[in-house]
Amino acid sequence: MNRLYDSMEPRVIDDDMLKLAVGEQSSQEETGELAKQEGILFKDVLSLQLDFRNILHIDNLWQFENLRKLQLDNNVIEKIEGLENLTHLVWLDLSFNNIETIEGLDTLVNLEDLSLFNNRISNIDSLDALVKLQVLSLGNNQIDNMMNIIYLRQFRCLRMLSLSGNPISEVEDYKMFICAYLPDLVYLDFRRIDDHTKEVAEAKHHYSIEELKHRENLMQARLEEEQVRREELERHKTAFVEHLNGSFLFDSMYAEDSEGNKLSSLPGVSELLEVYPSKDKFVIICVNIFEYGLKQQEKWKTELDTFNECVHEAIQENQEQGKRKIAKFKEKHLMSLSAIREELEMPNIEKMILECSTDISELFDALMMLEMQLVEQLEETISMFERNIVNLVGLFIENVQSLMAQCRDLENHHHEKLLEISISTLEKAVKGDLDEDLSEDVRALFVDKDTIVNAVGASHDIHLLKIDNREDELVTRINSWCTRLVDKIHRDEIMRNRKRVKEISLYIDHMKSELDNLEYSDILD
Amino acid sequence: MEVLREKVEEEEEAEREEAAERAEWARTEKMMRPVEVRKQETTLTQETLGELEKQLSEIQIPVSAELPTFAKDTIDISALPVSYKTNTPKEEQLLQLADNFSRQYSHLCPDRVPLFLHPLNECEVPKFVSTTLRPTLMPYPELYNWDSCAQFVSDFLTMVPLPDPLKPTIKREEKALPKKYTIRPPRDLCSRFEQEQEMKRQQEIRAQEEKRLKEEEERLMEAEKANPDALHGLRVHCWVLVLSGKREVPENFFIDPFTARSYSTQDEHFLGIESLWNHKNYWINMQDCWNCCKDLIFDLGDPVRWEYMLLGTDKPELSLTEDDSGINDEDDVENLDKEDEDKSFDMPHSWVEQIEISPEAFETRCPNGKKVIQYKRAKLEKWAPYLNRNGLVSRLTTYEDLECTNILEIKEWYQNREDMLELKHINKTTDLKTDYFRPGHSQALRVHSYKSMQPEMDRVIEFYETARVDGLIKREETPRTMTEYYQGRSDFLSYRHADFRPRVKKLTLSSAESNPRPIVKITERFFRNPAKPAEEDVAERVFLVAEERIQLCYHCREDHIIASKREFLRLSEVDSKGNKIIMMPDMCITFEVEPTEHTKKLLYQYETLMHLKKEEKLSRHQVWESELEMLEILKLREEEEEVHTLTISIYDTKRNEKSKEYREAMERVMQEEHLQQVETQLDYLAPFLVQLPPGEKLTRWQAARLKDECLSDFKQRLINKANLIQARFEKETQELQKKQQWYQENQVTLTPEDEDLYLSYCSQAMFRIRILEQRLNRHKELAPLKYLALEEKLHKDPRLGELLKMFT
Repeated sequence: MNRLYDSMEPRVIDDDMLKLAVGEQSSQEETGELAKQEGILFKDVLSLQLDFRNILHIDNLWQFENLRKLQLDNNVIEKIEGLENLTHLVWLDLSFNNIETIEGLDTLVNLEDLSLFNNRISNIDSLDALVKLQVLSLGNNQIDNMMNIIYLRQFRCLRMLSLSGNPISEVEDYKMFICAYLPDLVYLDFRRIDDHTKEVAEAKHHYSIEELKHRENLMQARLEEEQVRREELERHKTAFVEHLNGSFLFDSMYAEDSEGNKLSSLPGVSELLEVYPSKDKFVIICVNIFEYGLKQQEKWKTELDTFNECVHEAIQENQEQGKRKIAKFKEKHLMSLSAIREELEMPNIEKMILECSTDISELFDALMMLEMQLVEQLEETISMFERNIVNLVGLFIENVQSLMAQCRDLENHHHEKLLEISISTLEKAVKGDLDEDLSEDVRALFVDKDTIVNAVGASHDIHLLKIDNREDELVTRINSWCTRLVDKIHRDEIMRNRKRVKEISLYIDHMKSELDNLEYSDILD
Repeated sequence: MEVLREKVEEEEEAEREEAAERAEWARTEKMMRPVEVRKQETTLTQETLGELEKQLSEIQIPVSAELPTFAKDTIDISALPVSYKTNTPKEEQLLQLADNFSRQYSHLCPDRVPLFLHPLNECEVPKFVSTTLRPTLMPYPELYNWDSCAQFVSDFLTMVPLPDPLKPTIKREEKALPKKYTIRPPRDLCSRFEQEQEMKRQQEIRAQEEKRLKEEEERLMEAEKANPDALHGLRVHCWVLVLSGKREVPENFFIDPFTARSYSTQDEHFLGIESLWNHKNYWINMQDCWNCCKDLIFDLGDPVRWEYMLLGTDKPELSLTEDDSGINDEDDVENLDKEDEDKSFDMPHSWVEQIEISPEAFETRCPNGKKVIQYKRAKLEKWAPYLNRNGLVSRLTTYEDLECTNILEIKEWYQNREDMLELKHINKTTDLKTDYFRPGHSQALRVHSYKSMQPEMDRVIEFYETARVDGLIKREETPRTMTEYYQGRSDFLSYRHADFRPRVKKLTLSSAESNPRPIVKITERFFRNPAKPAEEDVAERVFLVAEERIQLCYHCREDHIIASKREFLRLSEVDSKGNKIIMMPDMCITFEVEPTEHTKKLLYQYETLMHLKKEEKLSRHQVWESELEMLEILKLREEEEEVHTLTISIYDTKRNEKSKEYREAMERVMQEEHLQQVETQLDYLAPFLVQLPPGEKLTRWQAARLKDECLSDFKQRLINKANLIQARFEKETQELQKKQQWYQENQVTLTPEDEDLYLSYCSQAMFRIRILEQRLNRHKELAPLKYLALEEKLHKDPRLGELLKMFT
């Protein structure tokens, strides 16, 4: 492909190459000198040119976090890789390489201009993440399927496309097809698409496009529906009561219950299950839990919001006070500094400097005092919030547990009934007037009393286990949520405090060093 | 007791419309016991509606009093209609009735002031007061409601004090167009002002006391303080009473015609009512006025409270139902006549002419378009629009002292100025002048306050910032500083302040026009740019030009209390040894709340510095441009003051030259069109009819001859036309033939150009011949038809038709 470099060894991008490239780029007069003096951090580089270097393997680019433009054209790259960290990339040139498949671009969400000209690509895909794509150059490749065009319909910003030199560009209908299926496209193969062509193309493919659009709309609607469902479930999950708004739990109790299923074929049992009020009742209780959970979730949320609001207000107020103090200090400080500069008498200067440094330490004390106040205030509020939220959660758990207990009662009741029926059936079986139409499996249960009681008991155990599991899950999750929430609040507050203290001490240090510098310069004068 | 009576006549026009529009007005005559002290007796001149209005008010002295002689007015009495000079029998009868009424009244109530019934009008003819009122509806919406109408009347009236309020003389002065009248003045305004002042003082002294108590005390204090009013309770004058019920008037109220103010009937200034009248009747108040007018009941239908003079006219009865009162409002002149028949006596038709106010006069409002109102320590002057060439419409001068000698401040309002100047405020104590502009000035000025028009002096200019590209709101200047405030800029600049050093005097006078003051310091502040993180968004930058320092202060992050700052020192690019300095670590002092690796780099600092240096240049340039702009504005303002052009609306066809021209052109066109239309209606028989003796009816023979003549004449014309076409046709053919001959002869020697010429001539000639042929054929075809059409027309002609029919 790159004949000039054919003789060279294929290379991997390494540190030396990068340093060289970066250095070459920035060699402009003063800035260049400065850059050389102190070196350039890779993460400050905005554009990087790595063309004609016989690169085979892309590597070591992870430091270029802020890179906007990357040129890798005219190399011998075979696989797109190592670009995952370059999330700010806007412009990527991979033309004149040996790439066969499009891949490894999933994190480059800001990419607007992508050139893959003159490669060996036969299929357009894996571009889904590039929602901002405006320019796509795919000329001189091996794309031969028109369906690739339909894939490009999802890129709403795409204005320029080049596909010349591909097998599909030989197709008779090539231009019309693209114009019709990508109506927002402005340039095709570096030529402006005139309105007339657009109209003709649209007219020509009108019917199939309408159909496509219809399908797309259906798909879109389905996706949206799915999205809504997912969000709904997510909301339920945050209330820890997902799947409780129906018979899901009840059904799951019987899903893995083989004994129970066998027993259900007993005469009378099906009636028991049919008329058995426990299913309805069970579901009603579940729904109760569900609704109660959602309501409680609202409560927690308002509790949290109120707390956040209050804390925010307090912090704001405190900050305002701090700002006022600093502003006042600044004013005074500036005046005393200029006074010091004008003062000629050495002893006076020393006295004034001393005054200044007392001012600074006074400011420090005042600011730290404010911060301490705030910390105390917040501590109190946080512990209050913690108490409240723990209480709320505890109440919720209690109520849920009592509702769950009702479920268990129902199950127990059901179990007794079932046992009764089973025993009577067993008696019948002993007497020999068992119904003919019972399956072998079921018959096998009615061997003796132990077997049947065991079977019924096993079924009952499974049911209870399911209920217990659901309850445990709920309780564990809500407890961990609560702990995490409280922890986070504490952590945030600690972080805030540390940051503020750091901020204050930095400032005070700065002021002090400024004053010291003044002292030295004065002494030097 | 001597009582002055006067009447205000002019409000009638106002009232007229009102009355016509069904508000109930009644003229009240009453005693005025002014609360405030009147040292001087004043007379009040009432201004009539100028030359437009012929009716004038008069002053009548009660029967017992002697008629004072007064200078005769220069009104041209001869021009007035007969109704002004004589009384109709009905009016005479009315006057007798009134005299009788008056006698009875003075007999029954000997203590009361004689009635004011029939003063002399300008022609020295006694007229009954009610007949001087004539309801009139004016075409101006401003006159439809009482407040603006009363304002108009008061603008029109001018007060002139009488020498003796109790022995009034009527002075009539001629002032150009409008005529003036002397009438007693109620100087309410002055006293009110005093009262207000007094009230304020009182309030300070005893805030806890009740308002009413205060007012009373105030009155007492005032009475003590000044000479007691000798005329208290003796003054009688006229004002307007509006009765409730019609046109959504919720309650009765008074209007003072001189100030156009409305007063509640409870107002303490009005001490009592002697009588009241409207255009239909005259009532005497029989109620006790011991408590001013507060207890009066204005139910004119109640004969115990209100003694009416005429039985016949309907009494407005407020207590009655809508239907009854409905009649009252409806009745205008026509109704009056009809209703009279069954009543004993009805008010005669008003003798005054209907008031007409031309739009010019209405716009002018005041006599001569100018009016001066004197207030306590203030003077208000009003002018009609366009009267003053600089657009001045009113001026309020406030004085420090009562004698009005030391001016405190002057406010001048302007209208229709092309420079959009609206108000000029001059504070004489501080000498500060403030000009206010309406939107639309070419420099987007809003307010300009200054002491001197010299540049670089103290001044503040505010702008309409939306009209400016740079979003400038305000620019303040002092001799050494200039401060600008901005809003809504894309670079978020909100403030720029420049400090100057006094100009270094240059000996070289080469660049006289631009010698800007050296800049010491430029401070710029910015609003928060939400697109940038706070620690990169500059809040304030200070260019210390003289010290070669640049200070940056960034915006404070939301969760911080300290903002980052950065200071660049020693900006010179060359050090003391002449070496080039690029960037040294000690050239930049940085405080960062959250230090980052990135900004510590010299490269970053260098780039920032370079950028700032560029910005500094720009800012200095901006300051310089602002200075230039100020010069420009001052120059422009001076020019505008000099020229003070007025704008004229294109709808103002009287003043706007262009629309006047257009209108006149339109009128001309209309006239021409009209003329043309007349021409088309020319009589085709006229040339033939002329030959016949005029004024006589045509005989049958004559008609027949006329018809024949007409037809033969037309036939001749048709033939002539055909001949003409024929002749032309032949001429063309001949010429063509000649040319063809010539061509045949010279064909060999012809150049190609000549040949072309010949060919084109031929084709054109052939075309002409063909057209002529066509025309001739067409003429031949149409001629008989036209002939028949004329004959038909002649038969149908009303002058000939009958005769011809008989003939045939």
